[in-house]
Amino acid sequence: MTEGIDLTTSCGPVALRTPILAASGCFAYGQQFAAFTDLRALGGISTKGISPLPRFGNPLPRICETTGGMLNSIGLENVGVEAFLRDKLPFLRDLGVSVWVNFFGVDFETYVDCARQLSAGQGIDALEMNISCPNIKKGGIEFGTVPEVAHRLTRACVEVSRVPIIVKLSPNVSDIVAMADAVQKAGAAGVSLINTITGMAIDVRTRRPKIATTYGGLSGPAIKPIALRMVHQVARALPDLPICGMGGILSGEDALEFLMAGAHCVQVGTANFAEPGAGVRITEELRTLLGTLGFSSARAAIGSLQAHAAEPEHLVESPWMSS
Amino acid sequence: MTAAQFEVRVEANRRLSGGYFLLELAAAAPTPVADAVPGQFVMLRGEWGRELLNPRAFSILDAPDPTHFSILAKAYGEGTRRLKRVEPGDRLVTTGPLGAAFPRPAAGVRDLLVAGGVGLPPLHFFARMAHRAGLSGQVELYYGGRDRDDLVLLDDFAAWGVRANLATEDGSAGVRGYVTAALAPRLDAAARTGEAVRVLACGPTPMLAAVRRLVLERGVQAFLCLEENMACGFGVCLGCAVPVYGAKPYRYCCTDGPVFDAREVRWP
Repeated sequence: MTEGIDLTTSCGPVALRTPILAASGCFAYGQQFAAFTDLRALGGISTKGISPLPRFGNPLPRICETTGGMLNSIGLENVGVEAFLRDKLPFLRDLGVSVWVNFFGVDFETYVDCARQLSAGQGIDALEMNISCPNIKKGGIEFGTVPEVAHRLTRACVEVSRVPIIVKLSPNVSDIVAMADAVQKAGAAGVSLINTITGMAIDVRTRRPKIATTYGGLSGPAIKPIALRMVHQVARALPDLPICGMGGILSGEDALEFLMAGAHCVQVGTANFAEPGAGVRITEELRTLLGTLGFSSARAAIGSLQAHAAEPEHLVESPWMSS
Repeated sequence: MTAAQFEVRVEANRRLSGGYFLLELAAAAPTPVADAVPGQFVMLRGEWGRELLNPRAFSILDAPDPTHFSILAKAYGEGTRRLKRVEPGDRLVTTGPLGAAFPRPAAGVRDLLVAGGVGLPPLHFFARMAHRAGLSGQVELYYGGRDRDDLVLLDDFAAWGVRANLATEDGSAGVRGYVTAALAPRLDAAARTGEAVRVLACGPTPMLAAVRRLVLERGVQAFLCLEENMACGFGVCLGCAVPVYGAKPYRYCCTDGPVFDAREVRWP
């Protein structure tokens, strides 16, 4: 009776028909996928990150494959706010799925400008604030790694935005809970966890890094355990903060792991490159798996993780192990 | 023409000399690859699990009927190594046809097809199409490789009546040296006689850069079929940027190319 499974969920104030969204940077502005898949079957789409002005991106090579993942350093190439609102948003709005517009600035003022301009667009359900892209220079790293800075930036953007702001956090920090806590207190409606993890690959024949900027963002199943751990840590520490989980989701089972860890919805990213219909397939797999495991709804699975039983004290501190 | 993603089965995996392999692939029903033209490509991926995520791009070698097409490749990395091992009956996922093609033959213009190593497929396809259209007399091949074994499918060109001018680095076939050593005198001869020629080239990037310099110096029109790392092949990952002159510094190998006018490519 998998048809009867209720997939509706929400990320804070953002209602979703299904928990599966397409991830920013892996779905462009959606149009290219229409030839391959039923976009309306997705819960939502997070757009390529938008900046106030168009950006042309980084030098070559920009991507390389690694075991179970890929490195990218695209450089946040995008059409800019004006062209996005004029040329790209109408297509997304007409799909009837939740439209999340990922955005960023190059400094404090441009972040706030971007949030203000975008939130005036018709048909945007949420702004996903990217404070975590590893591929931007100019001191942007502090936005994603220093809780006080992230708090100030989030608060300023929330104040000018007419739609909820979900902050996409960087995994390249030592305390993810502190970052999530800072943006929640600043008024974020939720957090997206996680962006890519910085990494590197080397071509030993040419003795050069495999991507031009030396370091890039690692995505794909290789990072899934780290993403799950961070989702779980934040969900446990901040139970009132809605989480959109992501990082290497290729199957319905992957998606369910994120829900169980405490994510309210998930995004599918790298999988879209090889399989433009990945989001829809994963949705169907999730529906089937929920039914098989006895869940009546996706919501019932959220945070349903059970801890292992604790070992009795005398076994944890076994006498013959002490020196 | 809209691309599609569909499954194919390996009908044959023919081992050629020089480490090349030719995959003959069959779909259960007609696919849009049937309408592919030379220069277009497909993305191919086997059942590679979670270790190797992205498909690999291959120029289409031929699409003889609505359900069949073939590619020619060589093992360079993990993806092509795995493809080289496929056996009849194995399943591959295909996305295609993708990209922009070479221009079609034009009346009164002789097309000089310049291939280097694994860059042969789109030019082989072009020569085949020219033959089918009764235009093979308007086409010449310039084909370079490391040695004799590195030059494959030569019999096809002979059968189509396309003259093949060969170059090998060790001199074991044709002239000794790079393919540009064979091409340069031909371009100079055309310039002397006022013959209208056009260059269509595909091969390693250093070869294409050399061809580009030759044609730009001589004012010869040329189209280059480029190769870049791509994760998707349909304009989303933005990994396959190509430096170009113009309003924007980059265009995309997958959707704007892979065939570019040599004048447009911004190479040193």
